[in-house]
Amino acid sequence: MSLRRILALLYREAVQGPKNFIFIFTIVVPLGLSLALGLIFGTFFSGKPRLGIVDPGASRLTQLAEAMPGLMVRRYASEAEVRDATANGAVDVGLLVSADFDQRVLSGQHGSLTVYVWGESLLRDRVLIGTAIADWLRELAGHEPPVTIATTILGANNELTWQQRLLPLLVLMTVVFGALMLPASSLVSEKQRRTLNALLVTPATRAEIYVAKGVLGVALSTVMALLVLALNGAWSSQIWLVLLVLFLGAVLSAEFGILLGVLVNDINSLFATVKALGLLLYAPALIGLFPMIPQWIAQFFPTFYMVDPVISIVQRGATLSDIAGQLAVLAVMIVALAGVLRAAPTVRLTV
Amino acid sequence: MPEPAIVAEDLTYRYGDLLAVDHISFTVAPGEILGFLGPNGAGKSTTVKMLTGQLRPASGRALLLGIDVARHPKQVQARIGVCFEQPNLYEELSGVDNLRLFANLFNVRDVDINALLRRVGLDGRGADLVGRYSKGMKQRLMIARALVHRPAILFLDEPTEGLDPTSAEAIRRVMLEEQQRGATIFLTTHDMYEADRLCHRVAFINSGKIVALDTPHNLKQQYGKRMVRAEVVGSDGKLLTREIILDRPETPTEIADLLAHQQVVTLHSEEATLEDIFIRLTGRGLA
Repeated sequence: MSLRRILALLYREAVQGPKNFIFIFTIVVPLGLSLALGLIFGTFFSGKPRLGIVDPGASRLTQLAEAMPGLMVRRYASEAEVRDATANGAVDVGLLVSADFDQRVLSGQHGSLTVYVWGESLLRDRVLIGTAIADWLRELAGHEPPVTIATTILGANNELTWQQRLLPLLVLMTVVFGALMLPASSLVSEKQRRTLNALLVTPATRAEIYVAKGVLGVALSTVMALLVLALNGAWSSQIWLVLLVLFLGAVLSAEFGILLGVLVNDINSLFATVKALGLLLYAPALIGLFPMIPQWIAQFFPTFYMVDPVISIVQRGATLSDIAGQLAVLAVMIVALAGVLRAAPTVRLTV
Repeated sequence: MPEPAIVAEDLTYRYGDLLAVDHISFTVAPGEILGFLGPNGAGKSTTVKMLTGQLRPASGRALLLGIDVARHPKQVQARIGVCFEQPNLYEELSGVDNLRLFANLFNVRDVDINALLRRVGLDGRGADLVGRYSKGMKQRLMIARALVHRPAILFLDEPTEGLDPTSAEAIRRVMLEEQQRGATIFLTTHDMYEADRLCHRVAFINSGKIVALDTPHNLKQQYGKRMVRAEVVGSDGKLLTREIILDRPETPTEIADLLAHQQVVTLHSEEATLEDIFIRLTGRGLA
C-alpha cells in the first residue's frame, strides 16, 4: 500500500467532501439534534452546576462536594484564582474554605465561608449549590436534620433522563451515518461518473482507494461523535478510551459503507438500501429507549458493540477491562468485513 | 525480433451465456498502431478491458510488455495509459489538478503539466474547472491524463468520436507523436478514415472473433475491388453511371470502348474502403 497514493486520493476526497450534502448532513444533524435536545430538556449550556473550591486545609466539605453526583467540582490554589474563575464563568460558585475551618466547626466556634457567585449563572445552579453547602455544613457539624421529609416519586422512576437515553441514538447516528454514507456515496458517485474506471487502470489498488474513501468518513464521524458527547454533558475522563471505541466503530461503519458502495450502482439505490437497513443499524439505541423491551436483544445487532461501550464509559464509568469483550467483538467484525471487501470482485466497481 | 508489446493468446470472455470474446489471438509490435474495428457489441471493449486488467479472461491470457496481465495487473497498469470513450474526469477539479492527481498515482514527480496541456491544445485553460470544459476539451484532457507517465502502451477508445475537426486533428497529431516516441497504440475506432490514415494494421472483430487482421493496404488488396466509375450521357440524354472493375484481362478494352463510344461527363478511379471490406467480410456495417 502506498501512502503517497492514498494521500493523493484523500486530497481529492477532501476537496469534494465538503461539497457533498452528506458531509454537511453529518455535521449539521448531530449538532442540531444535540442543541434541540439541550433546549427541550433545559440542559443546553447548563450541564452540571460547577463549584470551584480553594481548600488549603483538606476540609471534609470538599470531600462531600466531590462525592456528590451531579456536581462538577474544580479545585483552585488561591482565592485570586477561584475569584477569577467565577468572574469568568468557569464555575458557577466559588468557595473559599479556610485552613482551620473543620477544626473551628467541630470545636463549636463560629466559622466563616467566603462564596463567590457568577452573576450569569442559572438560578437553579445557585440554589442547588447553596442547598448542598448547607447540607454539608450540617453533616460536618454532626447535626441531625430538624425535619424528616417523606418523599414519594410519582410517574416513571427512570434512572436515566430522556437526554441520557437518547444519547446512544445520537452517537449511533453520528458514527454510522457519517462513516458509512460518506465513503459509500463517494464510491457510488465515482462509479456513476466512471471516474473509478480511470482509477482502476492506474497503480492505485482497490485497498488504497477504499482507505482514502474511508479515512474522511472515519475522521469526521469520530470528531462529531466526541462533540455530541460533549454537547450532551457526557464528556468522560477516559476520553482516550472513548476515542478508541468511537474510532473502531467508525472503521466498522466505513467498511460497511464501502461494501454497500461496491454492491450498489447508483445513489438512489444506495439511499433506498440504507433506509431499509436503518432500523437494523439503529436498533440497539432504539431498544435502549424502551426499558420494557428485554435489553439483551440489542446484542444481536452489530452496532450494539460500537455504541454500548461508549455509553458504558460515559454514563456508567466503565473501564477498558469492562468493555474488552465488546471491543474484541468489534475488532473481529472489522477483520471479517475487511476480508469480505478483499474478496469482492473488481468487476463490481465498474458500471 | 523484438518481443511484442501486446500478446493476446486465445482470449475468451463470457457474460453469462453470451460469449463476448471468442478465443481471439493476435500480437502488436512495439511502436505499432493497431486499429481495432468492429460494430457495437462486437467485443472490442471487453477485449480492451481484458488487456488493461479490468476483466479477468475466462480462458487464454494477455501479455503486455511480457507481463501476464491477469496475474500482475498493477505492474501492467503502471506502464500503460488508457483513454476511455466516455469522459470520466473529476469535473470539480481543475485540469491541472486532474493531471496532478494521476501523476501522483503513477508516482511521477517530474511531469511538466503545462507542457502536457500545451501538447493537447489546452494551454491557458489548466486552471479552469473541468466541469466548464467542452466535450472536445475533456477528450483532449483525457489524452493528456493517459500520457502523464509516458506509457509504453496507449489504449485509446474512440478518442475522436463526436469531436470537432480541430480537436480530432489535435488528438491524431498527439497519437502520431506518441508513436514516434516509441509507444505502442491500441486504437479502438469506428472512424475508417482515421484507421486508414493512422494504423499500421487493423483488426476487424465481429461477434467476438477477429475476422481479418492486416495492413489497410493488404486488406484492400485482398478483399477490395478497384474500379473506375464513369458518368456518361445516355441515348435519351440522361446521366448514367458505369462501373468497370480493374485488374481483369478485359478491363483495357472496356475502358477504351467507354472513351471511344460514350460521352463521358466524369471519370473517377475508386478503391474499396475499410468499411466496404468489413461489410463484405461480416455482412454488417460498423455503426
